[in-house]
Amino acid sequence: MIFTSFNFLIFFPLVIIIYFILPEKWRWKFLLISSGYFYINIKPVYAILLLLVISTTYIFTRLIDATDSQERKKTFLLIDIILTLLPLFFFKYYNVVNEATFNLLEITHLRWPLPEISWLLPIGISYYTFMAIGYSIDVYNEEIPAEKNFGIVALFLSFFPLVLSGPIERAPNMLPQFKGKLIFNYYKLVKGLQWILWGYFMKLVVANRVGMYVNAIFNNINEHNGKSLFVATLLYPIEVYADLGGYSLIAIGCAKVMGIDVMQNFNRPFFATSMSDFWRRWHISLISWLTDYIYTPLAFHFRRFRIWGIVIALMITFILSGLWHGANLTFIVWGTMQGIFLSIEALTNKKKKAFVRKYNLLQKGWYILICSVFTYFLFAFSEIFGGASESVTAGFLTIKKIFTDFKGDVWYENPSMIIITSISIFILFVVEFKAEYYKGQFSFFGNRSLAIRFLSYAFLVIMILLIGVLDGGQFIYFQF
Amino acid sequence: MTNKIKNNIYVRVLIKLVLLFGIVFVVDFSIGHLLRYLYFSQQSGNLYRTTYSLEKTKSNLLIFGSSTANHEYSPRIFEDRLHITSYNTGRDGTSIFYQYAILKGVLKRYSPKMIVLNFDLEEFKKSPASYDRISSLLPYYKTHPEIRSIINMKSPEERIKLCSRIYPFNSMLFTILVGNTDFNKERRKDFQGFVPLQKMLNKELDSGYYPEYELDSNKIKIYRSFIHDCINANVKLYVVCSPFYNKLEKFPNSIILGQKIAHENNIRFFNFLNDTSIINYPSYFADRNHLNYKGAAIFSNKLIDKMINEEDDQSALAK
Repeated sequence: MIFTSFNFLIFFPLVIIIYFILPEKWRWKFLLISSGYFYINIKPVYAILLLLVISTTYIFTRLIDATDSQERKKTFLLIDIILTLLPLFFFKYYNVVNEATFNLLEITHLRWPLPEISWLLPIGISYYTFMAIGYSIDVYNEEIPAEKNFGIVALFLSFFPLVLSGPIERAPNMLPQFKGKLIFNYYKLVKGLQWILWGYFMKLVVANRVGMYVNAIFNNINEHNGKSLFVATLLYPIEVYADLGGYSLIAIGCAKVMGIDVMQNFNRPFFATSMSDFWRRWHISLISWLTDYIYTPLAFHFRRFRIWGIVIALMITFILSGLWHGANLTFIVWGTMQGIFLSIEALTNKKKKAFVRKYNLLQKGWYILICSVFTYFLFAFSEIFGGASESVTAGFLTIKKIFTDFKGDVWYENPSMIIITSISIFILFVVEFKAEYYKGQFSFFGNRSLAIRFLSYAFLVIMILLIGVLDGGQFIYFQF
Repeated sequence: MTNKIKNNIYVRVLIKLVLLFGIVFVVDFSIGHLLRYLYFSQQSGNLYRTTYSLEKTKSNLLIFGSSTANHEYSPRIFEDRLHITSYNTGRDGTSIFYQYAILKGVLKRYSPKMIVLNFDLEEFKKSPASYDRISSLLPYYKTHPEIRSIINMKSPEERIKLCSRIYPFNSMLFTILVGNTDFNKERRKDFQGFVPLQKMLNKELDSGYYPEYELDSNKIKIYRSFIHDCINANVKLYVVCSPFYNKLEKFPNSIILGQKIAHENNIRFFNFLNDTSIINYPSYFADRNHLNYKGAAIFSNKLIDKMINEEDDQSALAK
């Protein structure tokens, strides 16, 4: 059951109605049952893995909490992390390790071929594994006491709006909410429904529509010229943003309707004026997780190298981020590129700041526009290795063609495709532009007039029905 | 007191939701009706040709299939040589589901004398896209009960989704608007449904195996139904595999099975896949999958030759 499936449109309202009918003390238990049902519906056998991660986390966080010895705490944390990471490593990196080992055995003539096993990655495993590890580290750091109620831990790690694709939430934010009063809040209900509606628009109208074009080009790189590949390269970040951003908004909105606050995952990334600004706005829950649990400890560890310590920490963090996305060379290239961009920014930061201050550039529209466009281009070209191309070779071929193959026109299936895709992107950018630069002005969803608010909702529903791609269109980030 | 406030909030939410649904319903109803009117007012284009095939054609020879059928079979050549009225019902991106729905619509009105069904290399391939593309039939759900069983194969919830009046016309807005203009008639002319391609391929002929794929039992079932319906309606059916710009070492499973089923039912199955008199000439192709106007004329004539020769053989045998 995914958010765009018809089943979910029945499941979610039903959950909400029963949730609010039930007495407050029963609500978290009902959410746990609903979450279990939701996950089991995807593939029952994968629910066992989720249960294993929940149990491991519960047992070891209790052990960490119960002991006073720092050494033992550390040992428990290490065992906990290893056990929690095992399923993720097995399912995500099994094939890569397998292949590498086979190659090694073949070179040494020690290979004894056995039938190959093909494993599908259990959906959401990368997300709930990170949430579980984050919780264990928080308990170890005594930022939060270990939760005594197994059900609450289980709900935290299996909460149905977040379990498939995040946001990667933190225990200090979620556990108190589940344990506290889950009361009906009119403001949150309305806000949540607004986010859900906008999330559906982003996914069905923008992501799926743009994805049709991008996939048609990137699935057949050899057949397309440089111009078409350039257009697809520029469109791919929009597809990914509308896809994961849309998914996140639906997830956050679903939680909000139930009175639960979940962290934002995106903050208008295409208006970022530098790569470091961009990474503060893009996939915030993953990046803040990596910052807190990997980058900061590493930067602290390498502090004697001063600025170069930061560069080392950045490179390691983003290569790991690439590996989180997939056990694939393309993602390592992608992560390395992000690390290089950010390192260059870190190394030139002081001089750049002084230059900007001297000429008062932050007040100049043209400077902000150039910086935003430059940042977008950097990210778009790095995304060639971040999921757009199937392999590193295909990625380099794409770049080569963009700069050398100018023959022919830009490919499109029919004029209707261009018009609809342009309209969907235009609406997205207008809304984002307004939210970035004119906050609180010309509000549609937050307008005082009921008529304007309701007509805005109706407009989006009609747009989804009119130009949304309602069939197919799996969420991109499910694969991670 | 608290309960009272709470109940008031619930009522407020309920009223607002009803109001919102009311607005959406009215807008959906109005736009949906306008789209329906505009859809059926079109005089050219893909969508118009589907309506024409389903509701208007009276031709005695009909050509069925996807884009390969639409761009490769010239009805005028069939008319000239076989002295029989002809129309090409082929439509880009469709599968046997669409073709069977059109057949059902046609047979409800009359029985043509002959049908040529173009059989694709991936005719029985299991693919969610084939089911998604059944959506091209949604505008006819209301008025054509005979095709509802096929539309319901798209998803079990289709009937509920069709409560929306806009839904059947999803993603068609601009195509419908353009379809109502004269510009569209000139943009891409069709000749009794046939849309010739102008491009010319400039590539060496490859040879090899076609990638393996999983077969879809629903498609096989529908193909059998297509054959049986033609037999029951006394329609002479020819199943044809048009040329593909690749010398195939082995035919895909669809072709082997399609041919077997045709033969089981005494239906002629003409396979032009490795016909060297066509595939050796890249100038006959627009791309690997489609013949251009030149190739279409040559192929149509070759197919008619085969049909006539088969007829002669049959007549000779009868004597």
